Amino acid sequence: MLHHRQIWGTLASLGLAIGMASGVQASEKSVQHSTSTAQFRSIEQPLGLKVGVTIGGLTLIGFELWWFLFSKTQAQQAKSIHGIQELTITVDGGYEPATVVVKVGQLVRLNFLRRDPNSCLEQVLFPDFHIVRELPLNQVTAVEFTPEKPGRYSFTCGMNMFRGVVEVQG
Amino acid sequence: MDNLTLKLRGMSCASCASSIEQAIQSVPGVIECNVNFGMEQATIQYDAKQTNLETIQSAVDEAGYQALPLQEMAGQDDEEAADRQSESQTLQRKLWTAGIISILLVVGAIPAMTGLHLPFIPAWLHNYWLQLVLTSPVQFWCGKSFYVGAWKSLKRRVATMDTLIALGTSAAYFYSVFVTFFPGFFTAQGLTPSVYYEVAASVVALILLGKTLENRAKGETSEAIRKLMGLQAKTARIIRNGEELEVPIAQVEIGDIVQVRPGEQIPVDGEVIEGSSTVDEGMVTGESLPVKKQLGAEVIGATINKTGSFKFRATRVGKDTFLAQIVKMVQDAQGSKAPIQKLADGVTGWFVPAVIAVALATFLIWFNATGNITLATVTMVEVLIIACPCALGLATPTAVMVGTGKGAENGILIKGAESLELAHKIEIIVLDKTGTLTVGKPTVTDFVTVKGTANSNELKLLQLAASVERNSEHPVGEAVVGYAHSQEVDLTDVKDFEAIAGSGVRGIVGGKPIALGTLRWMQELGCDTAYLELRARALEGESKTVVWMACEGKIEAILGIADALKPSSAQAVKALQKLGLEVVMLTGDNRSTAESIARSVGITRIFAEVRPDQKAAQILALQGEGKIVAMVGDGINDAPALAASDVGIAIGTGTDVAIAASDITLISGDLQGIVTAIQLSRATMRNIRENLFFAFIYNIAGIPIAAGILYPIFGWLLNPIIAGGAMAFSSVSVLTNALRLRSFKPKFIA
Repeated sequence: MLHHRQIWGTLASLGLAIGMASGVQASEKSVQHSTSTAQFRSIEQPLGLKVGVTIGGLTLIGFELWWFLFSKTQAQQAKSIHGIQELTITVDGGYEPATVVVKVGQLVRLNFLRRDPNSCLEQVLFPDFHIVRELPLNQVTAVEFTPEKPGRYSFTCGMNMFRGVVEVQG
Repeated sequence: MDNLTLKLRGMSCASCASSIEQAIQSVPGVIECNVNFGMEQATIQYDAKQTNLETIQSAVDEAGYQALPLQEMAGQDDEEAADRQSESQTLQRKLWTAGIISILLVVGAIPAMTGLHLPFIPAWLHNYWLQLVLTSPVQFWCGKSFYVGAWKSLKRRVATMDTLIALGTSAAYFYSVFVTFFPGFFTAQGLTPSVYYEVAASVVALILLGKTLENRAKGETSEAIRKLMGLQAKTARIIRNGEELEVPIAQVEIGDIVQVRPGEQIPVDGEVIEGSSTVDEGMVTGESLPVKKQLGAEVIGATINKTGSFKFRATRVGKDTFLAQIVKMVQDAQGSKAPIQKLADGVTGWFVPAVIAVALATFLIWFNATGNITLATVTMVEVLIIACPCALGLATPTAVMVGTGKGAENGILIKGAESLELAHKIEIIVLDKTGTLTVGKPTVTDFVTVKGTANSNELKLLQLAASVERNSEHPVGEAVVGYAHSQEVDLTDVKDFEAIAGSGVRGIVGGKPIALGTLRWMQELGCDTAYLELRARALEGESKTVVWMACEGKIEAILGIADALKPSSAQAVKALQKLGLEVVMLTGDNRSTAESIARSVGITRIFAEVRPDQKAAQILALQGEGKIVAMVGDGINDAPALAASDVGIAIGTGTDVAIAASDITLISGDLQGIVTAIQLSRATMRNIRENLFFAFIYNIAGIPIAAGILYPIFGWLLNPIIAGGAMAFSSVSVLTNALRLRSFKPKFIA
């Protein structure tokens, strides 16, 4: 126990040391910058380079936004066996598949197989069904519910960074 | 024929389940086999003469999977714990490595950055090549998890914290590598070439430190639920075939007779069949005083027996026990979302991609404005590493988790985060009378004797009265007997007992003829009632039923009987009013009874003579005034009203129907619980608002400053290490704030 406490104490003081060191730097650096030194001074760049960099940058922004926000991943229909709509979702840097299509009024069983040690993914939440499950690493955790109404029900990680959708069709 | 349940390992999809099923089926002697993919279990029926466990296990092995008997699975938790242990050890090793190297790099960078001559810092520490060698392991070994996470998420088209850290530190690192290899590129432009290795390394170190602290704090948010689960007894002492056995809790069945000794934990729920004792139910109900348990009383599993010893019949075991249901309810609540979280959810969806876009835009703006690639890169890196989506994501759920857990500790079960949030907005609180404000059954409230209390006169009279009433089936009789028990009066035998409908009861105790009944009956019997008539009329004025008692033809006492107020009612009503709520009483009783109860607790607005089916309509009418209405009730006939209200609060050992229809359940019957629930809701909401405010302000203010918005005006530029530190500790501070809720204590308002 004491050992444990020592580690934490050391870590905290380490953090503090780094913080203070950088604090000193920051204040001194800002003084330095106000006099506009060699490191950050303005330079004339050729117009062609500026235009090129800008076009390249804007294209990158556009592509990045499209990739993360507007492109869609493939949806997958849950298979119905013995009256249960079952599907396995691999949890590895996100949910695969992230969109699950099911029918209304029939029990759904989603088997979450967590392959990612990232602690952000250790929980899965279905807020509409009041379900929260811990997902042990490299194990299958089943989540069961029966959707009563058609619609889109999201499931997320504990912090809402990773998301998936259960699309319930009538 | 034998049954067997095996735990399966190595399945990855539903088709694995069917191949295991086939493999087991093909073993001669197996009659039936069922594989549950979700639970990773196989239940097998087999003929023990033809096959055995080993044969079945080897069949599963051959199919490429692993099967273990369930008992051996106990070790699995340990294995998981060991996994977690080694994971956290690796994390700590990485943290130490990154920490020590960062300190060296930061110290080495100070002279060059500040332009000061500090002779105690060796110059070789600022050697670019040495810095490259030192930083690389930090960047690629300590920071490996960020790259792996970012890459995996990228493929799933998700951008996370890892993406930001990987991009930010990589930009700083590779920029520095470029400077190290090609310093001429910068000097040709008249710039001082400078490296940012210390930024890359210390950001990795800080984030790892933040993550370690975060993991620890996160574990603490679910402490309440772990505590609840830890209450579960491990073994039970049961009596089977006249023999006392100690068995694991899982083997206790409904109907088993369980023996409980003084100081022991009651293993499961049940009903006392022999003996008596007091039981501390505080851990489940939040009630601080021990409760008396006698024949027929219900006992709750996980509570602690104090002094006596008793036997009880198990009525609920396993996942049906009260404790298991509490745990489930708390877990369910923690799986729900508070409406206020929409605020953060709306942002977290596009936050990281937007930050990446802002970072790139920052680079473009500075590059076009100054043409200085160093400035453009530094500001871009800062934007990437200061942004913190985690603080936003953690703000609400952690507070809800601690809040609902805290509720359970105080005997308040909150069905969902929605209810927790709504409870702080309640404007009108409607209290049902019977069973909520009052005890819910007739009790003796007044006992007036003609000859006073000299020589324990009143106890002797009570003994006589209760001995007669014991034979009566009338609720009044029950009340008198209950009162005698509470005064610890022993009852004696009665001869010639007779109940006269509409009048009363009589019998002979110890040779004395005793009669208990109405005033009219006493007068018919020829007793002189004048002496106590005034007192009787006063009691009737308080809507109490008066029972007259005659001994040997002479009036000796009167008993006032009413559905008594709970001791805490008046105080709780006052406290609710002090919290700014309008308290309303709703009852099916007649107006005069209702008014007398309302007066004694200080309620001014009452709805009396409301039929059960009209209660919900009454709630809707109150909501029609534009107010948020909470309803508190206990019975089945309250269920529609509980459901109709904005916040339904079921109270006491209420029925399952009432609990199902309600949003908040108070396990104990104490009305003070309502006050506590509202206080808890307010505290939690305040906490969530603080968290959200901090998380938003932090990002809203932090990102523009990191982007260098103050540089043109004041020449201020944030140090990237500070940006990394702020980011690492923003989520830790949100968590720490949420954990402050753990110290919530119900405030007593007098």
